[in-house]
Amino acid sequence: MAVTVRLPGALREATGGKTKLEVSAGTLADIISDIDRRHPGFRSRVLDDSGAIRTYVNVYIGDDDARAHGGAGAAVPDGSEIMVIPAMAGGSA
Amino acid sequence: MISHAREEAPREACGLLAGRGGGITRLIRCANVHSTPTTRYVIDPREQLKAFRTIEGAGEELVAIYHSHPVSQPYPSPTDRAEAHYPDAFYILVSLRTGKPEVRAFRIDAEKFVREVPIAVERRGLARLLTNSPGRGH
Repeated sequence: MAVTVRLPGALREATGGKTKLEVSAGTLADIISDIDRRHPGFRSRVLDDSGAIRTYVNVYIGDDDARAHGGAGAAVPDGSEIMVIPAMAGGSA
Repeated sequence: MISHAREEAPREACGLLAGRGGGITRLIRCANVHSTPTTRYVIDPREQLKAFRTIEGAGEELVAIYHSHPVSQPYPSPTDRAEAHYPDAFYILVSLRTGKPEVRAFRIDAEKFVREVPIAVERRGLARLLTNSPGRGH
């Protein structure tokens, strides 16, 4: 089994157009680094310089918010599905 | 979108439009969970996740993200530009600043350049955003 990473269109440009990737299980940071090796620049879109999930990015492991389970250090077991979703925000001010 | 904006005023309303082939077939109202909702919006992340799954399950695509400006113009603010992370989607603004609602659509690319896109309502309840028009860049 593997881990499925789903990316909305917003991150598609960072992965050569791919919105669905298969990776090996590990921590979320491991998985992001794995994707970054295949698609350089992906990591910086999701993690900041300190290695934390960027404030405007939401990562779900199944239905669970990764931030509630260790953030970038969250364990992602085989068979999991991850969704990396940039926030939708703004406003008149 | 206009109804949603009116119901939520003075808070900023927000939501998604989905569809196929450039047309819009679904509107998903979302909760604005920002701490200052009268001038800012953040779509509830859990509702956003649920909406993405609904859209994907229906074989549709995200077409647009809409939100309202209750008292200001229907144009992307500096905050709207800074927080835009979906260059493939349209950003629709609904303004209630006058007695007549104003609705305008834009693209905000990765460099935060704003380009307006004309909206054509082809029949009741269905609108098609014109994607081939060069629009006006900003």
